[in-house]
Amino acid sequence: MTHKNHFLRFTLFSLVALFGSLCTPGCSSFFTNFITNSFKNLPNSPDTVAVKVAHPVFQNVGLSVLWVGHATCLMQISDKIFLTDPIFTETAGMISKRRIEPGILPSSIDKLDYILISHIHFDHLNYGSLSMLPKSAVMLLPEGGAEYTPEFGFSDYREMKPWTTFEADGVRITAVPVSHFNGRYGFDSGWLNYNTYTGFVIEYKGKTIFFAGDTGYDPEKFKKIGKKFAIDVAFIPIAPIEPHEFMKRVHADPEEALQIFHDVRAKIMIPIHHRTFVQGLDSSLTFAQDQLKRLVIERQLEDRVLILKIGEQRILVP
Amino acid sequence: MVQKRTLWYISFVLLVGIILLAGWQKAAAQEQEQRSGISNAWLLMQAVPSVSWTTFSTRTHFAFEWEATPILYSWGMTKLDPPLHSFFVTQPERFAGSVEFIISTQLYTSQVGASHWGFSGQVLAHLPLVEHGEYLGFNLGIARYTIAGISSNYFVGGFSTLFGFLHYNIKYSPANETWMHSIEVRFF
Repeated sequence: MTHKNHFLRFTLFSLVALFGSLCTPGCSSFFTNFITNSFKNLPNSPDTVAVKVAHPVFQNVGLSVLWVGHATCLMQISDKIFLTDPIFTETAGMISKRRIEPGILPSSIDKLDYILISHIHFDHLNYGSLSMLPKSAVMLLPEGGAEYTPEFGFSDYREMKPWTTFEADGVRITAVPVSHFNGRYGFDSGWLNYNTYTGFVIEYKGKTIFFAGDTGYDPEKFKKIGKKFAIDVAFIPIAPIEPHEFMKRVHADPEEALQIFHDVRAKIMIPIHHRTFVQGLDSSLTFAQDQLKRLVIERQLEDRVLILKIGEQRILVP
Repeated sequence: MVQKRTLWYISFVLLVGIILLAGWQKAAAQEQEQRSGISNAWLLMQAVPSVSWTTFSTRTHFAFEWEATPILYSWGMTKLDPPLHSFFVTQPERFAGSVEFIISTQLYTSQVGASHWGFSGQVLAHLPLVEHGEYLGFNLGIARYTIAGISSNYFVGGFSTLFGFLHYNIKYSPANETWMHSIEVRFF
């Protein structure tokens, strides 16, 4: 057999293997459309945020919140600063493109006490972003997160199983169960024997915040959280929505997000996990937000559901 | 002929050894705690071969390659993650900074000498370059390959990308001036 024939046989075998893996049921249309959509946006620069808060950390404040974008929220209760799922990079996992700049510069966070990581997906445990943050923080991870977390130089790291509580200096942070999916790279979910995703409830100085991270709707879990805590503010994801049958198990849509808000019995809801990255097959960046706005007006929840702009900071308790 | 039979015997022993060790690891992990580790899904992913081509003085041979990591020492993770790993290694444990001992077997699509099989042992260090190595890392090490009954030492250099799944390594043996290129797919 000639050298050319060997090469052809080799190439043919490789192409058949590649084609076979791409044709796995469930993988084809969604991933093809998602990847096409993502690649289409890769060369585009993210839209700018007109006014970025230069000094988001106060000397002292009752309760302030700032939506940086996606699931990244900067919260301050009194003298403690919390940052959730920090992502400041232009892509999540090389492919998913940021469409709007982060609401603040990471360098403007000059003090940070806790970083909360809800799960290990690229858009929530983002290595590039974590490298930009002050090293004084304690990083809290979901169970199993340590196997996916390189050393960033933070002051401490903790893995938290559901319903366990971390306590320090008057701060209580409890990991609470939510509904999402495992792994970081897709197929690694096949050998993870536990849930690498969580929500968090932060309690400090009489204020209670629920951060749902990224979740689908599970009434049992959220009602239990609502019974255990008197929540002041709930950060709840509302996107991606489409394809709905595919997404609904792991991503709450605006209707379900409002149901979570109801179940956890929070006073105020702030929607997150929308508008920021190319996600799923939602027809526009504001697809989920527009749906939520309609529902909020229908149900007269304007005073309780705060739809923040990216970079917008609110002082909820002076 | 004897040489061919010997190589088949070695490959059989090697494969059985890998399966037994992996099975032992899986059982040990199950006894300790139900965390991540060797599972049927993991074993299935290990069956996906890497590809390599070796340029000898007269011609180029293509091969499929299967690799296993009996031991890896990781220095790039937090204190929560133990540094020593055997067979089951998550991608960050490798690309965030590690050195590993790799055993592998190659199946050549054309006959090399009297055989289609090759075997190797490698010591390879992974050094992170971009995003703690998840986007880009540098590989450096040494390897010993036995192909068609002839053993040679190689210097290894290359890079890894795409979350540590894709490695491109170039191996060079000064003794017999042989170049080897490999595109390695590492699924944990």
